Amino acid sequence: MIRSATGAPFQHSGNNISSLMLSVAFALLPGIFVSTWFFGFGILINIAVALVFALVAEALVLLLRRKDIAPQLSDGSALLSALLFAIAVPPGSPWWLLAIGIVFAIVVAKHLYGGLGQNPFNPAMCGYAMLLLAYPLEMTGWHVPSEAILGPLAVDGLGVPSAEPAREILNPLSLGAFKQSLLLAFPFAASNPSELGEFIDGLALATPLIEFKMAGQSALLAARESGNSLFARDSETAWELVNIAYLLGGLYLLFKRIISWHIPVAIIATVLGLSALFYSPGGAAVYGTPYLHLFGSATMIGAFFIATDPVSAATTRSGKIYYGIIIGVAIYSIRVWGSYLDSIAFAVLFGNFCAPLLDHYCRPRIFGHPTRTTTNREPAEP
Amino acid sequence: MSVYRQLATRLLGHDSLFVRRTFGGIHPPAFKQHSLRSRIMDTPIPAQLHIPLNTTQRESLSMLVAIGERVRKYQKLAEVSLGDDHGTSLPVHAPTSGVMRALALAPVADHESSEQLCLTLEADGRDEAIALRPEANAAIERLSGAEIQVRIRDAGILGMGGAGFPTAVKIESGNGFGVELLIINCAECEPYISADEALIRERAEHVVAGAELLRRACSARRLVIAIEDSKNDAIAALRQALESETVLETRCELIVIPAKYPAGSERQLIECLTGVEVPSAEYPTGSGILVQNCGTAHASYEAVVLGRPCISRITTLCGEALLTPKNFEVLLGSSIDFLFGLCGLKQADLSRSVLGGSLMGRELASTESVVCKTTNCLIAAGRGELPAAPAEQACIRCGFCADVCPARLLPQQLLAHCKTGDSIELIEHGLLDCIECGACDYICPSHIPLVSAFKDSKLSIDERQRDRQRSKYWQNRFQFRQYRIKKDKEQSLASRAEARKSSLEPIEQAASEAAADGAGGFSKEQASREIAAAVARVKARRGASSSDKDESK
Amino acid sequence: MLPLISFWPVQLALVAVFCYAITLFIRKIVLVALQQLRTQRSLVTRINNVLPQTQCGQCGHPGCLPYARAISSGEASNKCPPGGKETLFELARLLNEPIRELDPAHGTFKAFSVAVIREEECIGCTKCIQACPVDAILGGPKRMHTVIESECTGCDLCVEPCPVDCIDMVAPTAVPEHAILDSRSVSVQKSGART
Repeated sequence: MIRSATGAPFQHSGNNISSLMLSVAFALLPGIFVSTWFFGFGILINIAVALVFALVAEALVLLLRRKDIAPQLSDGSALLSALLFAIAVPPGSPWWLLAIGIVFAIVVAKHLYGGLGQNPFNPAMCGYAMLLLAYPLEMTGWHVPSEAILGPLAVDGLGVPSAEPAREILNPLSLGAFKQSLLLAFPFAASNPSELGEFIDGLALATPLIEFKMAGQSALLAARESGNSLFARDSETAWELVNIAYLLGGLYLLFKRIISWHIPVAIIATVLGLSALFYSPGGAAVYGTPYLHLFGSATMIGAFFIATDPVSAATTRSGKIYYGIIIGVAIYSIRVWGSYLDSIAFAVLFGNFCAPLLDHYCRPRIFGHPTRTTTNREPAEP
Repeated sequence: MSVYRQLATRLLGHDSLFVRRTFGGIHPPAFKQHSLRSRIMDTPIPAQLHIPLNTTQRESLSMLVAIGERVRKYQKLAEVSLGDDHGTSLPVHAPTSGVMRALALAPVADHESSEQLCLTLEADGRDEAIALRPEANAAIERLSGAEIQVRIRDAGILGMGGAGFPTAVKIESGNGFGVELLIINCAECEPYISADEALIRERAEHVVAGAELLRRACSARRLVIAIEDSKNDAIAALRQALESETVLETRCELIVIPAKYPAGSERQLIECLTGVEVPSAEYPTGSGILVQNCGTAHASYEAVVLGRPCISRITTLCGEALLTPKNFEVLLGSSIDFLFGLCGLKQADLSRSVLGGSLMGRELASTESVVCKTTNCLIAAGRGELPAAPAEQACIRCGFCADVCPARLLPQQLLAHCKTGDSIELIEHGLLDCIECGACDYICPSHIPLVSAFKDSKLSIDERQRDRQRSKYWQNRFQFRQYRIKKDKEQSLASRAEARKSSLEPIEQAASEAAADGAGGFSKEQASREIAAAVARVKARRGASSSDKDESK
Repeated sequence: MLPLISFWPVQLALVAVFCYAITLFIRKIVLVALQQLRTQRSLVTRINNVLPQTQCGQCGHPGCLPYARAISSGEASNKCPPGGKETLFELARLLNEPIRELDPAHGTFKAFSVAVIREEECIGCTKCIQACPVDAILGGPKRMHTVIESECTGCDLCVEPCPVDCIDMVAPTAVPEHAILDSRSVSVQKSGART
């Protein structure tokens, strides 16, 4: 209860939570668009399914907690979590995978800790990590760029799949591919099993960290040199372009001052630094080039969108830099020496663990105080 | 600019007075253009004035006029003692001629107190003034610092920027430390307030003269006038005034600072101009710097050069509910109703009336409040202007508040500790350094009433401090009581031992005499004789004390 | 070409940076610990300074200092009703314990009250004077007793010994001098914020 509410100040900047969240969602759009261009409608279906389940789950939990539903649903935080989660989970995942993950994220990782502003861990990453541990097979079926969706099995007249299945490779943005994506997401809708298409499962990777294939070269530059179109579907520029799109989105957020530069710059600098330190072209152990680590994987979206989630990140300026460094080290080490395929989720969660400690120790010097006060457990005495 | 200039300063001893970028701050829309469209106007004399006396206790007043007495303009009405160790007092003068009617508590438009004792003056409309004693220019040049201080005190001048601290006392406290730099604060950074800007625009020479007088009063080496870069007319007027120097010989510099809220806050201004951070629990005079508002400088000019005591001030009247917002030279004690009426108040549109600016102002309970020496601005907010805050949402830990805090605090953590009431953490996070500027509140996307929470916690901490002082006092009393009881006990034991000794002495003496008499040999008769004598003595003593008791009854 | 990390200058630099960071961390911890050791009063004194010093005995001990000693030996710290929530909170924080509710067996939080003697009924027995821990009662044998309101702590130890039961606990009328709120004292910084 506030006793001395004088009402001042009477003027307000007009900021509100929903406009902040919508701005971040807007900044994700370029990346989503480029993803759709190269990989088809899978990501959009993911987003749709995740959104629906996120909003329903949030509404139900708010009902259980006896809070007002409308203001909280409209603040956009569930929307943003659903978006990031849907982007992280591979396209072509069945609907139930998305549902379990996002419901876990919203209900357990967010509301069970107290709701908006109270969750110590990034909800989208919690959901993703839970799925990775519980359904490893479904989660690691990512598709290789420049290839598309395999159409349905060719069947002969009697409906029996032929011995040597010839499958059509579909243009990702065609209607056929859209139907296939839907069927992949909702397998129960297939009238017979042979209808189910699939993504080409070239190499079982979470994101195509195809250091072997790329071996240090930028596919974009290669495409430039060979005169191919950058945006051709069969070029290998897809992932780089997706990352550049997310980078542009992130720069937009920086420009609008919605996020501060400390976390993204710290993460990118750390990953860059570590990969530069360990990279050896043509060496025995293949660690991947710095360029690969930044643009051939999910580092950009992790640095600008996932790690900067304000609720679970460190809050002070110097704390944010250390937070970024910790996440950068975690990203690199789990990716290179760990057994998981891409490490953004676990790296960010690891950073979330460290955030309260960083908040406690990394406080700025207060105006008029000589140095930062050391923590003193002595109670104030008269 | 800054890094190289700082290096040059340190290495080559160049001027350390330049503009630095300070941390934090916001850029709210200023809304000052409406009240600056016209020049400062004088108000007509209202029928009644309730002159505020800056106190609520009659004991601190010494009245120089009686109720029912006729007074003339500029006449001294009372001396109000400030209650400090030096017995300083501040005089109050009549703003116009008339009859004293009453002395009573009345609502006052002051930033700190909502009610003060006021002298009601019924104006007779003739505005008869007592003769003033202006100083000739030559005489002014010869005035010493102490004499200027006396005139400032006698005119009853306080800090016109809103803090209301008696100027003479502030200067005197500076004398003890040795003031090197006097800064005249013309950076009116808060939205809606344009009183200082209007004053400078029209009376820049007087402000500069007043600044020089203040400089001589506090014997400062340097004099600087700081103004925001958005006030172009005022800057031009000041530059012209500094070049012409008609009134006094001045050595004054004009520094233009970037417009930002809260650039005009004393400590932030000092940091911006000199790079010095005044330590947390100290005042700027300890660092050799004194800051005065330009309205105070102008009032000092009027007091010393024109001999005119402080009976009016420039107040901005603005807000959408007024037809003609403008700056007025307002007589002290005018009611707000009267002033709003002068500006054409649209009563139906009035949603609230606010004293001060939109970020640090206070909502006034009634428009019957009267103007005092610190009333810098009155906002008659129209419908939709200064709306009530929307519902508070959860803190999303975005960190915008820490980005704008001029004191480099972490409002987010402060809020968390305010909610748990953890005063130790609050003090460690610097709650007592919060200047309550409202920048964090302004920028918070969750519309959390941060300033109110901090004010509340400060009150709680204060209460707890007083509780602890009270407990310490009780502990002292308890310990003294224990000491007293112990002393009493010791004393009673000692006195009883004394008494027993004095009663045993004669017996011992007799025994020693008897021993001296009798050569050794114990005789029965002697023993029984002595016993009988002892018994008789005891009886006699008992009888004496009981007769004493009877007498005392 | 070998990776950068395999060159010994790079390795040395990394190890140096790492060691420096660890050293800073250890130094900070050591400095904080030393500072605390230097300025620390004994635990009993610190606990006693948090207690309200009413010496009322509601905690079951004959005064605040005995209770402070008991707390430092492990007794529960939630037995002090006159201390209010602040004392509960500060003691929990001091002892690094979770904050508990006030133990209902030892009383409830009540508003501050002072003792008043109904003078018509007072018989001058001095029993209350002997009971008052801060000597707030004025009087002598067979003389009128009266409570000095500004000194009364509200401990109500005088109520029980009175043989004619003439003492009431009432809300205080005057605000004691050392408790008057001065708006200027709230924050030094407030005055600096005016433009």
